[in-house]
Amino acid sequence: MAYRGGGGRRHGPSAAFHPVSPGRLFTCRTPTHNICMVSDFFYPNMGGVESHIYQLSQCLIERGHKVIIVTHAYGNRKGIRYLTKGLKVYYLPLKVMYNQSTATTLFHSLPLLRYIFVRERVTIIHSHSSFSAMAHDALFHAKTMGLRTVFTDHSLFGFADVSSVLTNKLLTVSLCDTNHIICVSYTSKENTVLRAALNPEIVSVIPNAVDPTDFTPDPFRRHDSITIVIVSRLVYRKGTDLLSGIIPELCQKYQDLNFIIGGEGPKRIILEEVRERYQLHDSSKIRVRLLGALEHKDVRNVLVQGHIFLNTSLTEAFCMAIVEAASCGLQVVSTRVGGIPEVLPENLIILCEPSVKSLCEGLEKAISQLKSGVLPAPEKIHNIVKTFYTWRNVAERTEKVYNRVAGETVLPMDKRLERLMSHCGPVTGCIFALLAVFNFLFLTFLRWMTPDSLIDVAIDATGPKGAWINQYPYSRKRGRNKTR
Amino acid sequence: MVLKAFFPTCCASADSGLLVGRWVPEQNSAVVLAVVHFPFIPIQVKELLAQVQQASGVGVAVLGTWCHRRQEPEESLGHFLEGLGAIFSHEPWLQLCRERGSKFWSCKATHRQVPTSPSAPGEDQVMLIFYDQRKVLLSQLHPPTALPDHQAGDATASTRGLAAVFDTVARSEALFRSDRFDEGLVRLSHWQSEGVEASILVELAKQASGPVCLLMAYLLSLISAASTCRVFKLWPLSFICSKLSTCEQLRHRLEQLTFIFSTQKAENASQLMRKANTLVSVLLDVALGLTLLSWLHGKDRIGQLADALVPVADPSSASSVVVYWAYCGQTGLCGQEPSQAECPWLLRVAQLRGRRKESLGAGKEWVAEELQHLLQWLMGAPAGLKMNRALDQVLGRFFLYHIHLWISYIHLMSPFIERILWHMGLSACLGLTVALSISDIIALLTFHIYCFYVYGARLYCLKICGLSSLWRLFRGKKWNVLRQRVDSCSYDLDQLFIGTLLFTILVFLLPTTALYYLVFTLLRLLVVTVQGLIHLLVDLINSLPLYALGLRLCRPYRLSAGVKFQVLEHEAGRPLRLLMQINPLPYNRVVHTYRLPSCGCHPKHSWGSLCRKLFFGELIYPWRQRGDKQD
Amino acid sequence: MEDELSFSDIYGGRLALQRRYYSPSCREFCLSCPRLSLRSLTAVTCSVWLAAYGLFTLCENSMILSAAIFITLIGLLGYLHFVKIDQETLLIIDSLGIQMTSSYASGKESTTFIEMGKVKDVIINEAIYMQKVIYYLCILLNDPMEPNGISQVVPVFPSAKPRLDCLIEVYRSCQEILAPGKATSTSP
Repeated sequence: MAYRGGGGRRHGPSAAFHPVSPGRLFTCRTPTHNICMVSDFFYPNMGGVESHIYQLSQCLIERGHKVIIVTHAYGNRKGIRYLTKGLKVYYLPLKVMYNQSTATTLFHSLPLLRYIFVRERVTIIHSHSSFSAMAHDALFHAKTMGLRTVFTDHSLFGFADVSSVLTNKLLTVSLCDTNHIICVSYTSKENTVLRAALNPEIVSVIPNAVDPTDFTPDPFRRHDSITIVIVSRLVYRKGTDLLSGIIPELCQKYQDLNFIIGGEGPKRIILEEVRERYQLHDSSKIRVRLLGALEHKDVRNVLVQGHIFLNTSLTEAFCMAIVEAASCGLQVVSTRVGGIPEVLPENLIILCEPSVKSLCEGLEKAISQLKSGVLPAPEKIHNIVKTFYTWRNVAERTEKVYNRVAGETVLPMDKRLERLMSHCGPVTGCIFALLAVFNFLFLTFLRWMTPDSLIDVAIDATGPKGAWINQYPYSRKRGRNKTR
Repeated sequence: MVLKAFFPTCCASADSGLLVGRWVPEQNSAVVLAVVHFPFIPIQVKELLAQVQQASGVGVAVLGTWCHRRQEPEESLGHFLEGLGAIFSHEPWLQLCRERGSKFWSCKATHRQVPTSPSAPGEDQVMLIFYDQRKVLLSQLHPPTALPDHQAGDATASTRGLAAVFDTVARSEALFRSDRFDEGLVRLSHWQSEGVEASILVELAKQASGPVCLLMAYLLSLISAASTCRVFKLWPLSFICSKLSTCEQLRHRLEQLTFIFSTQKAENASQLMRKANTLVSVLLDVALGLTLLSWLHGKDRIGQLADALVPVADPSSASSVVVYWAYCGQTGLCGQEPSQAECPWLLRVAQLRGRRKESLGAGKEWVAEELQHLLQWLMGAPAGLKMNRALDQVLGRFFLYHIHLWISYIHLMSPFIERILWHMGLSACLGLTVALSISDIIALLTFHIYCFYVYGARLYCLKICGLSSLWRLFRGKKWNVLRQRVDSCSYDLDQLFIGTLLFTILVFLLPTTALYYLVFTLLRLLVVTVQGLIHLLVDLINSLPLYALGLRLCRPYRLSAGVKFQVLEHEAGRPLRLLMQINPLPYNRVVHTYRLPSCGCHPKHSWGSLCRKLFFGELIYPWRQRGDKQD
Repeated sequence: MEDELSFSDIYGGRLALQRRYYSPSCREFCLSCPRLSLRSLTAVTCSVWLAAYGLFTLCENSMILSAAIFITLIGLLGYLHFVKIDQETLLIIDSLGIQMTSSYASGKESTTFIEMGKVKDVIINEAIYMQKVIYYLCILLNDPMEPNGISQVVPVFPSAKPRLDCLIEVYRSCQEILAPGKATSTSP
């Protein structure tokens, strides 16, 4: 339970009596919020959602809000930890069911979540990712407790197959009484609005961002021969099967073409077989290199080694990877799916259909451009891209959403039940209305068992009365927590 | 930093004098070891201290003065004591003073030799800590601190904290040799001044132990030489010896005895403790074994034991003992017919003796008979399951033939069983643990169950392996042996066809095999569990540190986990007084620290791996997992 | 000098904190929990016996009743001797060490003494406990191998579980002894 390291040290008395420094007062012009980010996905797990939550929280802390993060325990990492700038993370001991997502019974997480919401005096619950059961649980409990809710959807879904139909129904239930929804691209917004049958007015689009200082080009580290870089998890959704078709075809056509593939996943075996079958890993020159799992800080070092970045995703709401690659000055070739066309301007990306043939054509085009020297210099691409997406901008826009939500009212219990019944269809609506009633009764029981007055108010590490920022300007824990 | 003065409680009533002890500068503490009484000659005190210092390597010095005012305060004594500070210069100079009728002492520590300002002697805050010198001397700290080297130079640096206090007291035994009643020139007061514990018996035992050890060590070396003789190295013998638990136990006992009677002196405290523990556990073991022996040979109970070991007798013969026993058990349990439960036991025992021979044979045949019934049941439609008739018949006949073989084996064996048991009973004089190795007999009697289990498991394992590889073939995969992973592979149509056919056949035959496997595995597990429990008991007797537990019970201070402090009554303006007591080691830690190594290796696999092994039909061998077989 | 304050534990039960200042360098904090209440004892005993009687009427075996009495007695003894802690004491002596004592209801005492050389610091930490997130006071022990490392975290008052206000009280006093200079600057 207990965490180690000097970064986690608390000073009970000093935290309570620390004066607000004058330098930070100007940030308090706008009302500050106590925000709780909930998601199953957070560091040490790696991915887009994880870094989104982390970066957004950091920028919100910078703007004077109090932010805490709630996620489930990762292996030995459980309990409470502090990250850079006093970002407090609760790793709750909940059972992981599938794909790092917790199992949900809709009730078992209520006692702990309620305890945290009360002790941290949270005003806004911000859930992330529709794959995360914990995020939906938190939304459900927060609405029962009368807290304001915001949801960010990071992914796209289909409408046709059975699993999508079921997921969409659940999403409808979960989002029908949520105060505000944030999507990462317009395609994603369209998709979410359709899936969850929402009023488009309560859906905002705030794209993801990258930290351009982390992804700078380094032309000297590029290989001599043309190198294609792929960095993604090797799973079906990321189009690894397409990749196994592209690699042999292009390798036969261009003798000096190399591939570097970073990432880990169940589909890795396919790539290994391709490599062995076509003899692409001779000891003299390795043409297809599989790097395995990458730490986030190593991604840039892999990216700068290549000339072309290939993204084969089959579905993508907002592809951070292509922005990172473009920021490193690579020519991007990608499938034309989901929100990808919105992300980069035409001249920086070559879009193809998600098929082996089309992708090969796209890559050949990129290679010919590269050989003829038409492509702009990496530095130039970087300078264009770095102005596009910044986390400060994202945080500002998210803050506006919070301000708007703070002015809204939360539906009282009867209105909520009515809405559930009217909005989600007769059967599902009734079932979930019943569940909501049960949840309310459970909450009442919990309030009787441990009244709010018995719950110690946590000492703020961040926010207007934050004890952390002035005391610990730099935390030693950052490096450790960003690693896998 | 507060100055801490450790003061032995036994010196509290001593006459006025000088405080002798050691100053620990890192701790800022003074450990008082003894009080030197008046009158003395300073030179002689210094000489004594120098001797002690040389002998023990502890920097013993005069720390200050001790003033015990029994009568009315004497002004001259106070002045005199202050004057002593000039003779025995020490930094800081302690002045302890106990007044008559008052519980509170006064204590001062003065720095007089401050070179810059000699005129103003500085005073420190002082904390008085009382300790029981005898207990501290005898106690052993856990976990043991770094063992101090006996070279005087770095001896002081090796221990730190309170361990330094313990170390100081333990090493200054040379100081305690002379006491107040001696005719020596310097009179001291310390823990031995109240009298020394000694016992003639202990001294005699100490004297006698040397020759006894020599003799026993010689005998044991003879035995071990005989056991290493070449005959025992031949293949079948050595294999059997390594598997039989009796042999294992005997070897362990031999090791224990050689350890106890080894002529080398124990190097450190833990080894001494281990020796004592082993000795006590061997003694207890032998005592228990002798009790068992006398009980067994008292009323010819060996025969009864033979009957008890032989699984329950033939139910068809109405006069059988076991029916009677079962009957007794029933009546006893229900408690409805107490008069019948008291029916003449001895008479029955007499009957029992008469019938023992037949029941002995019948017992094993009964097991065989029951197994035959079981097999016949399996060959029909067990529990309403419809099995593959042909395979069922083949398997059933195969096992029936084995039972036939077994019965003839038993007929051969039955005259010797009682003899074997009698000899095993004799072995009880080597200790209960050796006698308890009857699991060998159990293994001997249930050999057929083991055979059945092995056949069933092998067959089942083959099926499972075949099914899994054919399942891979179904999915267009194959196991790559070189890379230890599953690769995709394209098969021909013929291959797929044959594979599918085989797969179907195997799938449909699986339930029959699985049923046989299940039944025999359950039987095997039953036997293994009984053996495991016996082994657990043996291990418990072998590994319990009885001497350490007894020491913890009777002399709790001997094994200390540390110290604890108690704040004594306090008065403002006087130094704080603390009582340092020994914190005895908890029982669980005693057992944990002094556990004797048991002979059997501990079971390696957990429940999960056991279940996995059972599922995939891998054999579970009884001798690999010695302890509880299912843990 | 001795004073007594009243606090509550995380379940809302009452705790009495006794502070004894023996000298500037020696302080004792004593947290006493309420004693075993007759009501709960009666309730448990009655329920066990009623259940046993119910079983008895079903199976008509008098063994059950005697077993129930036996189990109740053994359970009560075990509870008093091994589980129920009446009082927890923290004694902190400057330059000597920190001593924690817990007294069980049966009078058994278990004491742990930590030398000052091993103590790195005394802090208030947060942990997830059952379905709660609680603050607790703990002692950090030095790692002998690594100068800045922490080898172990020893919780203080593990059974009483006082709330934050009580912990802050104890924490401040501890810091006054452990780090005299710092404590004066942070206390109001």
